[in-house]
Amino acid sequence: MAIEAVGARRPGGLLARLGAGILDLLQVLGEAGNLFLAAVRLAPAALVDRGRVAAQMVRVGTDTLWIGALLSLFVGMVLVVQAADQVSNVSQDILGPIVGLSMTKELGPVLMAFLLAGRAGSAMAAELGSMQVYDEINALRTMDIDPVRFLVMPRFIAATLALPVLIIYADFIGIAGGALVVASDPAISLPVHAYFDRLLEWVKFRDVVIGLLKGVVFGMIASIVPCTFGLRTRGGTEGIASSTTAAVVWSFILILVFDFMIVRLSFALD
Amino acid sequence: MAADRHGVALELQGVRRVYDGHAVLRGVDLDVEPGRLVAILGQSGTGKSVLLRQIIGLEKPDAGRIVVGGIELPRYLALAPEEKPFVMAMVFQSAALLASLTVAENVSLRLRERGHHSRAEIDAITRRVLEQVDLAGTERKTPSELSGGMRKRVAIARALAVDPQIILYDEPTADLDPILTEEIGRLIVRIRDTRGATQIIVTHNLPLARGIADRIAVLDAGRIAEYVTPEELVRSRHPLTREFMRAAMLVEQGEL
Repeated sequence: MAIEAVGARRPGGLLARLGAGILDLLQVLGEAGNLFLAAVRLAPAALVDRGRVAAQMVRVGTDTLWIGALLSLFVGMVLVVQAADQVSNVSQDILGPIVGLSMTKELGPVLMAFLLAGRAGSAMAAELGSMQVYDEINALRTMDIDPVRFLVMPRFIAATLALPVLIIYADFIGIAGGALVVASDPAISLPVHAYFDRLLEWVKFRDVVIGLLKGVVFGMIASIVPCTFGLRTRGGTEGIASSTTAAVVWSFILILVFDFMIVRLSFALD
Repeated sequence: MAADRHGVALELQGVRRVYDGHAVLRGVDLDVEPGRLVAILGQSGTGKSVLLRQIIGLEKPDAGRIVVGGIELPRYLALAPEEKPFVMAMVFQSAALLASLTVAENVSLRLRERGHHSRAEIDAITRRVLEQVDLAGTERKTPSELSGGMRKRVAIARALAVDPQIILYDEPTADLDPILTEEIGRLIVRIRDTRGATQIIVTHNLPLARGIADRIAVLDAGRIAEYVTPEELVRSRHPLTREFMRAAMLVEQGEL
């Protein structure tokens, strides 16, 4: 996905286009970095603007809660079915640890971050993009109201606080989904209590904390990237659509890049 | 001039704005006396809205200076809201109401964000300005429930709520029928007469400009070609002004 949200004209020629694309990317990353720093600097104002933060948390929650539950349930179920088939000749004792570790360390954080970026993040990009195109953000500026404090900071705080909570919720439902298959699938001879016993033996508190730490970082990405694209929207409804698509795709990419970095860092610190 | 009750002066000297090598404003000079209602007339795409964006501070001119109420604009913009000696407001062409807020929330937004007034005071001001624009009773509606003319009037009410000394209007009657255009025109005149605010209206509607403005500035090729009273405009020899007059007359007489 090229960064085309600003509707800039591309020069001709492969190298020129590549160069322009790299410059665009650096420009977006720079803007996102600046917006992140501004949102962090304004974070203490969340205490004063708690009504707006709470409203954004409700939006994030209602956007992701039900579909997140469904997604996590089926991911937990599929994990057990797949793993049971693979370990049929060894021991089904490891089904609990497989589901527990996968959900808490990787799938819970990444799936919920993708969901947040895809649902709430796309809504943020579209809403801010629309406000940019229809001069609402300029109207705020003429009223001496800082758009970052008024629009970005509440979304940033809400997503950053909400995602770890959503991850815990997804972890529980995913693990419960796995237990459901363990209990009901005739091909699995492992008792449900053994599934939970092994899971609790293997999943350490540290694994859960790493998952939640990922949630904090992914929550920041899934709000700052859409807000960045929303605020740089130009060119009417077509520009809003481009911004929204680019915001979701670049959120996904950055979530995976930071996922890799956090995993590497956590192993390096072991 | 007491800035707390009356409008403030506006002075533009050699304001220039270039986009991608193309000069939209080529050195605009304009003096607006306090409390005056000035219309900036020009064809579409000649930089009228760009000029307003320089005056309100949304964009920075490439050259020239803008002085509002005796203060250089960059210095005024750098002041904290509570330190500003007077208030500027702008009514956008699209009204630019926040879609997620009700009419009352839109109108009172700047007051609530300032935090200087109690909730009761804010409610009273909101009711009063909505009455002034004939929109009492619409407090709980959202912008999507309003007509284009009503949205424009809410935008004007939002500007009035902070009792500004200078109000800028970007095409306030664009897309409105003649009856609504007249209503908005009367409202703007009433604001001048009752509040004494300095008002700048950007428009290509010649009858409106002639009907309400104290003075009319004709913007042509990025410069102010004429700055005259409505009466003087009728006698103008400037080609663009003559063309405007001729076209307006043809439309009025149905001779197209």
